[in-house]
Amino acid sequence: MRLISRKLRKLTAELLELPQDVVFDLPRLTMIGDRQLYIENHRGVLHFETDRLRLALSKGELEVIGSDLAIRAIWTEEVFIEGVISKIHMVE
Amino acid sequence: MNTSWLQTVKGMVTVTIRGGRQEMLINEAASAGIRLWAIRRTSPEQMVCEISVSDFFRLRPLLKRTGCRVHVAARRGLPFWLVRLERRKFFAAGLFLFMCGLYVLSSLVWRVEVAGNDKLTEDDILAAARAEGIYEHQWTWRMEEADVLSKNLARRLPGAAWVGVQRQGTTIRIEVVENTMPEEQPLYTPRHLVAAADAVVTAIEAENGRPVVKRNTKVKRGDILISGTIGEGEHTRTVVAKGEVRGLVWKEYDIEVPLTQEVKVYTGASRLKRHLLIGERTLQISGYGAAPYAQYETVESRSQMAWRGFRLRLGTVEERQLEIRTDRRQLTAEEARAVGLLQAKADILAQNGNETKVVGQNILHEKTENGKVYMKVFFEVEQSIVTEMPIVQMQGE
Repeated sequence: MRLISRKLRKLTAELLELPQDVVFDLPRLTMIGDRQLYIENHRGVLHFETDRLRLALSKGELEVIGSDLAIRAIWTEEVFIEGVISKIHMVE
Repeated sequence: MNTSWLQTVKGMVTVTIRGGRQEMLINEAASAGIRLWAIRRTSPEQMVCEISVSDFFRLRPLLKRTGCRVHVAARRGLPFWLVRLERRKFFAAGLFLFMCGLYVLSSLVWRVEVAGNDKLTEDDILAAARAEGIYEHQWTWRMEEADVLSKNLARRLPGAAWVGVQRQGTTIRIEVVENTMPEEQPLYTPRHLVAAADAVVTAIEAENGRPVVKRNTKVKRGDILISGTIGEGEHTRTVVAKGEVRGLVWKEYDIEVPLTQEVKVYTGASRLKRHLLIGERTLQISGYGAAPYAQYETVESRSQMAWRGFRLRLGTVEERQLEIRTDRRQLTAEEARAVGLLQAKADILAQNGNETKVVGQNILHEKTENGKVYMKVFFEVEQSIVTEMPIVQMQGE
């Protein structure tokens, strides 16, 4: 049943050319150079250090690596990270 | 860290968080709607973040659940500022009084300006303005609106066509546009116009009143030309007769012209005197001593330094003395006669005004005796012949 609904969703997304993040609850990342990162659709902070930040996603994790990382602002679904970002890593 | 004014008004604190599960605290705070911002790590077990004062008190139950400890590191914003102000009561009172003073003084009228008046005196306008409540040291909130004041002031000043009242801060500016009044005409009593001399009327033009004579009428001195009484019977009225009557008048002139005439002639010799002009004083430079001429005329010319229309008070005065000689000139009888007639005509014009015309002349008698020409000339002159005569009202008739 879940498989069917997922397939149906994928089909409608492809047919209607809808953005994937809206349909599948995927994170959307907006990055400004290496200094600002705006993440929508996260599921909370798992780990926070100055050089490493791990965020929970609906499926898997997102790892941000850099230096002088700071959470500028945080809401239930969005997080705004500042600092020198060198690497973004998706963990399944 | 840029903070909005709203955060400043609400007040915010910088807190350090130690121990416990700090990531969980962040997540729980976010889901509870407690806003934490600028979260950064200072050491592996210590975190610093900003939080508003109201959210800080809501954070307490979450701290217990996650086992974190908070410590307030800095306080910023209006609430803390007010607390500090409470400790310094006199400073606060002074600040408040200063604000009040500034407000009160700026809501006073400090100056009333009047512009545009020429015939109306400033005092009259200020008096009218005072009656309308515009005066120095008046509260601006006690005055009416500017357009109402303009209307009322215009009503109080009959000599003004338009009055504008403007408030610029603590200055009231009253602008006045005055009426242009027609010139007042002098008052006349009812009158006739009568003949000033015996004459033959050549033209009559009555502006007001009843013309009595016609063209080519012979009139005697004192005859009424334009009557000031109009209407008949019961409707008789007296008015100011006005008009122009011209007539031919005869004048007899006795003229005598000497045959030798004295004439001034420049000999051509001259001498120059120079002066230096400093302010209102002059200092002679050259041409000292008395003039070597028995008779002379002086012609003065002054030159001053000027630059772009601005006269300096420095310059030179040149005084030229011109020698004169008096010559005697012998006239023939013909020349003497022409000179005499010219003088007589000039005299007629001078006596009777510019509109006088000499129509004809007749030399009645002429003789040359003792180096002089004697003539009796009869002139026919066309001139205005009117003079006024007031009408005397007979009372008790």
